[in-house]
Amino acid sequence: MYTIRKIIFVFLLSISGFAQENDSTEVVYKRRVLEASEIEFISSYYKQDGNHSAVSGGIGTEKLTDVASNIVLTIPLNADDILTIDAGFSAYTSASSSNINPFFTDGSYVDNGNNTGASRGYAKSTKDLNRDSDDDDYGTTQPLPYGSPWIESTGASRKDVLTTLSANYSHSSDDRNLIWNANLSVSREYDYQSFGFGGGIAKLFNEKNSEISIKASAYLDKWKAIYPTELHEYAKYGFNFQNNSYFENVTVYDQYGLESSNYLPFYFSEFDNEKRNSYSLSLGFSQVLTKELQVSIFMDVLYQEGLLSTPYHRVYFADKANYYIGQKRYIPLYDTPQNKGVYRLADDVERLPDNRFKLPLGARLNYYINDLMVLRTYYRFYSDDWGLVSHTASIELPIKISNSFTAYPMYRFYTQKALDYFAPFEQHYSSEKYYTSDYDLSSFDSHQYGAGFSYSAVFSPFKIFKFGLKNIDFRYNHYSRSDQLEADIFTIAIKFVNQ
Amino acid sequence: MKYTLLIFFCLLILQSCKSTQVKEYEKQHINDREMKLSAKTAERHETNFQVYREGASGANGGKTGGGCGCN
Repeated sequence: MYTIRKIIFVFLLSISGFAQENDSTEVVYKRRVLEASEIEFISSYYKQDGNHSAVSGGIGTEKLTDVASNIVLTIPLNADDILTIDAGFSAYTSASSSNINPFFTDGSYVDNGNNTGASRGYAKSTKDLNRDSDDDDYGTTQPLPYGSPWIESTGASRKDVLTTLSANYSHSSDDRNLIWNANLSVSREYDYQSFGFGGGIAKLFNEKNSEISIKASAYLDKWKAIYPTELHEYAKYGFNFQNNSYFENVTVYDQYGLESSNYLPFYFSEFDNEKRNSYSLSLGFSQVLTKELQVSIFMDVLYQEGLLSTPYHRVYFADKANYYIGQKRYIPLYDTPQNKGVYRLADDVERLPDNRFKLPLGARLNYYINDLMVLRTYYRFYSDDWGLVSHTASIELPIKISNSFTAYPMYRFYTQKALDYFAPFEQHYSSEKYYTSDYDLSSFDSHQYGAGFSYSAVFSPFKIFKFGLKNIDFRYNHYSRSDQLEADIFTIAIKFVNQ
Repeated sequence: MKYTLLIFFCLLILQSCKSTQVKEYEKQHINDREMKLSAKTAERHETNFQVYREGASGANGGKTGGGCGCN
């Protein structure tokens, strides 16, 4: 903590000396900050797959697809002021969400990938159906609760839509050397909502060769906590939950495939506090070093408090007995993709501290190599008080094919050291205070590589109403993580300007 | 050690920039679209998924909070 204070102090002390220098920039005339309204459409398609689902305690499918889109409208209110409105959505289908309730209950699941099972509803008697261990259980028309961490359930919770709306107002001084801004944002999805606000100020000096900025923001978020089905039922009905509601007459097996009524997740309790607040202070400094080289350094000081765990991430303890629902013949294959029909009941959900202090420090350095190429680089060091340490480095090389067309290959490397509270599937102990098996918080390296293509119109080749095309950006990236998670993302951004 | 190096790096830049005086009319390369010292708008959805799939966040000019990032 002392080191962090020292960094902030030195940073502020250093830049304050520059900010106090007289700026010799003279106002010759006052040009509009933004000449005309602009509207930008940003759309992306993202898909991923992996085999370390946090919802299933660190194993299982991580299939996810996401289609996201934003419309950003930038309006000059007068010569000095700009209003930006940003509205967007992100619609996803996720194996993680779907396996909050992994159990197929309508008996319609067949092993061909075209699942139509429901992940909500009431299970009927399965004792008779589970007497044998052959394949007769498949294709039955009778209700049967079974699932697998390797199969994406198809219930209501498998998909959701995140909607976002934000507004930003900025004002520039007459000499354009001082800019302040204020912003508001809201976002909402089924189990989470967020309200944010903030403001910042930027000062340019040294003939606009230097800039310092400071920004503060706060996000006041709230969960509508959803828990894994078995834990939810336990919380609702207590010790007698296996005779009620979802689990009424459902057979539970132990590790040896024997019917058991001993499953009691008594470590589990619902979270009392469902709020999550995030506060940040961002400091930035940028500098033109030569006619072709400029650099910026920036840091965020972030503090979060409240419910920082994800309520539906399962955890299985190594020192507790195992219990299952489904087809007992798959129990020996449970942690392999060959498991097509049994799901293990959770011991608890992930538990993480209720506050977190993060300190990311970043830098960008851009170099205009020649009229053909520009070099864009980025580096970030990150650490937090949960023990996670990471380094990020990226490089992009825009190559100008013509006045209008630019192609840019890019590469990003990321490495992180795991959280203190992370352990893989079934390696936590019930005596621990904090635990998670979320592989997003494990130790890994990742490589992201791809290319982009942009078109900037000198004269708009076509218009939509009064808006002429300004530029188009298309980019594709492949993301590969050392724990076998693979992802692809396509993005297109199109900007129009009012003419 | 890392923090000391960072502080040294910051001070070095700050000292060097005292003598930097690139005039406005000399900034045609600095003002090139590709030279912007910020992430491109087309990167924002990539940044979102990186925040979801990685433990680190911040210091990239994007959002510093809000949203659960839980899918």
